[in-house]
Amino acid sequence: MNGLGLRTLLSKEVRRFLRVPGQTVLSPLISTSLYFVVFGVSLGGRMEQVTGQPYLPFIVPGLVFLGMANNAFLNSSSSLFIMKIQGTVVDLLVAPLGAGEILLGFVGGAMVRGLIVGLLTWGVALLFTPLQLVHPGATLAFLVGTAYVFSVLGLIAAVWAEKFEQINFFPTFVMLPLTFLGGVFYSVKQLPEPWHTVSLFNPMVYMVEGLRYGMLGSSVFPPLLGGALLAALALLATLVTYALLARGYKLKQ
Amino acid sequence: MRYTAPAPVAAPVLQVEKLVKRYRDVVALDGVSLQIGAGEIFALLGPNGAGKTTLIGAVCGLVKKTSGRIHLFGTDLDVDALGPRFQVGLVPQEVNFDPFFTVTESLRIQLGYYGRLPDEARIAEVLEALDLTAKANAQTRALSGGMKRRLLIAKALVHRPKLVFLDEPTAGVDVELRRDLWTYVRQLRAQGTTVVLTTHYLEEAEELADRVGIINEGRLLLVEDKRALLQRMGKKRLVVSFERPVARLPEAFTGGSVLSEDGKGLVYTERPGHPRAAEVLHALYASGLPVQEVETRASKLEDVLIEVLHGREVAP
Repeated sequence: MNGLGLRTLLSKEVRRFLRVPGQTVLSPLISTSLYFVVFGVSLGGRMEQVTGQPYLPFIVPGLVFLGMANNAFLNSSSSLFIMKIQGTVVDLLVAPLGAGEILLGFVGGAMVRGLIVGLLTWGVALLFTPLQLVHPGATLAFLVGTAYVFSVLGLIAAVWAEKFEQINFFPTFVMLPLTFLGGVFYSVKQLPEPWHTVSLFNPMVYMVEGLRYGMLGSSVFPPLLGGALLAALALLATLVTYALLARGYKLKQ
Repeated sequence: MRYTAPAPVAAPVLQVEKLVKRYRDVVALDGVSLQIGAGEIFALLGPNGAGKTTLIGAVCGLVKKTSGRIHLFGTDLDVDALGPRFQVGLVPQEVNFDPFFTVTESLRIQLGYYGRLPDEARIAEVLEALDLTAKANAQTRALSGGMKRRLLIAKALVHRPKLVFLDEPTAGVDVELRRDLWTYVRQLRAQGTTVVLTTHYLEEAEELADRVGIINEGRLLLVEDKRALLQRMGKKRLVVSFERPVARLPEAFTGGSVLSEDGKGLVYTERPGHPRAAEVLHALYASGLPVQEVETRASKLEDVLIEVLHGREVAP
C-alpha cells in the first residue's frame, strides 16, 4: 500500500476543485438555491403539506441530495477524463499506485466536493426554513453513502468515456431524469399508477427518502431498505471500478 | 535480416524476455529480449512505429503485454507490478501538464506519488538543473513548449529513480536544452542511474549511449556496444576534389573509388580487403594527381542505422 501516494492523489483532487471554486462549488450552490426560491418559496407557498410536512422543509433533503450527487459524480468523472484527454493520466499509471489507491484517491476528492456542496445547500435552506435534524446518524450515513456511490459512478464514466459527448451522457440522460423523477420535489406516494410502481425501480427514490428520514424523521420507505440498497450499490460500483482500474480498461494500451 | 542476440549483461536492472505485444492484427513487439545493465546509457533506435515506445510502455505499466516476462530490479512484474516502479522515472514522448498546478506543486505531487515526502531542496536542485528555477511558481499552462518539456524531465527525475526512460526527451526543444540535458544525463550516469533513451536525433545517441539497440517492426535487430558497432560497421570515406579534370585513376585507386563524371572529384570508401583510407591518401599525393582538397568522413550512427534497417547488417 502506497499510503503517501494515496494521500497525495486525494489532496491533489481536493486542491484541484478548490482552485476553481466559482465553477465547482459556487455555481452548483446557486443552481440549487434557485430551486428553493422557485419551488419552495414561490410555488411551495400555494401548496398543501406533503406527507405531513410543509412543502419548503419537505424539499430540503432532496435538494441536498441533488447538489451532492451531481457534484460528487462530476468531480471524479471530469478529473479523470481530463487527465485522459490531456495525457497526465500517464503520471498516475507509471507511478507505483495500485487500483485501490487510484480509486480511493479520486473517490475521496469527489466525496469532499459533493459533501461541501450538499452541506452548503443545506446551509442555504436554513435561510428559508428552520433546521430539522431528527436522526443525525442516519443523515450522516445517507450523506456519506450517497456521496461515495456517485463518486464511484463518476469514476466508471470517466474510465469508459473517450469523447466529451460520452462523459456528458450519464449526467444528462441517466442522472438528471432519475433525480427529477426520484421524489426530490414530490412524494412518490402522491403519484398515480402506473407511475408510482415505476418510481419504485428508481434507486434514487430510496436515497432521497433515506435522507428525508434522517432530517425530517419520516419517509415513505423504511430507512433500512434505503440503507441496504445504498450499501449494495456501493459494493457493486466499487467492485466494478476496481476491476476496470486493475485491468487498465481504456487506460492502458 | 540476421538477428544478433544481445550479450548477457552483468547485474541487469531490466530483463525483458520474449516480449510480445499484439494489437488485434498488428504485432507491435515480436519476441523482444533485452537486458539493461546498471549504470549504463542504452539508446533504443528505430523508425517511427518500430516498437520503441511500446517496449518502454510495457515496462512502465502503460502497455499490457500479450506474452513474455519483464524483470525490473530482479522482480518479475507479473508477481509485483508496483514495487519496482518506485525506482523508475519516465519522460513520455507526448508533452502533458496539469493546468491546475504550478511547476513546484507538480513536482511535489510527483514526489508524493512515489512515496516521498515533499523535499524542497531536491525540487530546487532539479529545477536548477533544468533551468526552471525562474519558473518555479509559474502555472504550468503558462510555460512555453520547451519549458513544458523541461518540466516533464524534472518530474521524471525528482524522486531520484535508479532507472530512467527518456522517450524522445529532446523532441522540439532548442539546442541549448539539448546540450544541458546531455550534460545532466552524463551526471545521472556518474551517480549510478541507468538511462534508457529513444531519440530521433542520432547525434544524441552517438553522444550519450554506451550501448545501442536497433528495433524495427517490433523486432530487436541488434544490440551492441556503440563503439564496437561503429568500429565494426562504420566506414571511412575520402572525398577528394581535383584542380582540373582527371581522365583516369591509377590502378591503386580502382577498388572502392568512384570518379565523378566531370573528372574533378573522387570518393573512396574503405572496405574490408581494400587499402585503408590513410594508405590511399598517401598514394594519392605520391601519384602526382592535381589534388585541390581532401576531406575524410567517418560513418556516423545514422549510417549504421540505415545499413541495419536495410538488412546490410553484418553479425559481429
